[in-house]
Amino acid sequence: MSVIEINNLTKYYGKARGIIDVSFSVNEGEIFGFIGPNGAGKSTTIRILLALIYPTSGSASIFGKDCIAEGPEIRREIGYLPSEVFYYDNMRVIDLLQYSASFYKNIDKNRIYKLAEIMDLDLNRKIEDLSYGNKKKVGIVQGLLHQPRLIILDEPTSGLDPLMQQKFFDLIHEENKNGATVLFSSHILSEVQKLCSRVTIIKEGRIISIEDINALKRNNYKKFIIDMDEAVSEDYFNIEGVADLAVDKTTFTFLFKGDINQMIDKIHGKRLNNLRIEEPALEEIFMHYYEKEE
Amino acid sequence: MIILIYAGMLKYSGFAAAGQSVNDLFKQFPASVKAVLGLGELDITSVLGYYAVFYLYFLLLTGVHAVMLGTVIIAKEEHDKTADFLFVKPVMRSKIVTAKLIAVLINITILNLTTLVASVVFVEMFNTGPPITDKILQLMGSLLIFQLLFASIGAGIAALTRNIKKATSLSASVLLTAFIVSAAIDLYNKIDFLKYITPFKYFPAAEVIRTGTYAPLFLLLSLLLITLFTAITYYFMDKRDITI
Repeated sequence: MSVIEINNLTKYYGKARGIIDVSFSVNEGEIFGFIGPNGAGKSTTIRILLALIYPTSGSASIFGKDCIAEGPEIRREIGYLPSEVFYYDNMRVIDLLQYSASFYKNIDKNRIYKLAEIMDLDLNRKIEDLSYGNKKKVGIVQGLLHQPRLIILDEPTSGLDPLMQQKFFDLIHEENKNGATVLFSSHILSEVQKLCSRVTIIKEGRIISIEDINALKRNNYKKFIIDMDEAVSEDYFNIEGVADLAVDKTTFTFLFKGDINQMIDKIHGKRLNNLRIEEPALEEIFMHYYEKEE
Repeated sequence: MIILIYAGMLKYSGFAAAGQSVNDLFKQFPASVKAVLGLGELDITSVLGYYAVFYLYFLLLTGVHAVMLGTVIIAKEEHDKTADFLFVKPVMRSKIVTAKLIAVLINITILNLTTLVASVVFVEMFNTGPPITDKILQLMGSLLIFQLLFASIGAGIAALTRNIKKATSLSASVLLTAFIVSAAIDLYNKIDFLKYITPFKYFPAAEVIRTGTYAPLFLLLSLLLITLFTAITYYFMDKRDITI
């Protein structure tokens, strides 16, 4: 069953492009990555899901209900953490969290304290006295305190130190294990790699690909770094299936997709200084996608 | 506001003591000065006349308060970027608007009642003639309508303005323009028809005091405008793209 269903969603801000013809769906119980450079349209898509903005055309539904028409009802089950958090400066953290909780029914009040403890958040400080990282923690707690069935994270890790990022990821994993579906938007691929099972890539307002993250890594590309001991022509390795070929003197670096024996045959009988075959980082695969599209 | 009224009435005791000479002095003022000060044809040595002059300042002050309050309370969430917190909560936008408008109503009423109490207390403190409490009550009634009108205008402007930062300056200009137009009407009788566009002229103090009622036409007009701007606020807040 899909929790989020987006069909041909298009949004223009006046004449400026927001997103064009975006379609994808997120299944129940998965952590779905939403990847793209800044300004690609990730936030635009998310803001439509939350009915903060209205689509120019197309539709989006969550739990089978239309995001716009049934927004308030849907949002009972959504926890949202924006990339930049802003709260009422003169409130104390605990007051803000209780105010936030007051919007939901059947809240477990202890959860505020439990989450605050995990995230190491001081509940008695005033919002205006908090550092950016601490405000972010407030955001995490207020986004999760009502045990949402769908968690929407829009570039959530900015401002969190690595330790807190890890705690945050653990928390998200925990929620996911308890049945929450997660939409995770980011331009940092390593964190998506860590967390997500499937990803969609958005670029200049359009979806360019939807992939299973393991399949993406497993089936597709190997990264070759070959340091030659004898001279070969620059496009010696430029056979079918090779991408992003870079030559630095005697060192050849490229991604290869295809029958590995073909490449072994090419190397066979040549003198090498060094050879490394690696799993490419997702960054490299995505860079390859971006470039292919251009 | 309380201090203003107290200081104002303190000054009145001086005027009253000086008697007729003050009236003569003001008569010599050029018409334009009298118009801006709101003196008109009132006898400011009588406590009622003096208080009626005061009324213009009440209009100005509460008008600024109301129009700014209306604008800011609607525009604030986007301006302070707290909109991403509030508007993703499971409530209809109209409910949020309602809560905010009720807050405006309470705030405005408190200011009105404060003005009322301070007026009654300090006027009686310096009043040497018969009590004018009933007149003050009537004036506060029209003041409240005036406040509501400008609060709804402010809220409407905030809901209509795409760039929220422009909303407050736009609201302030509307109020100021309305005031200048009303002063201009006092100067040139020929533009009397403009009184329909400036709430400052809907319930002139002198008329309220003289007739003891509010002009039905302007009462109706006020009601219509308040309804219109409130509807605008609801409609455009609902249709609005919340961007921060």
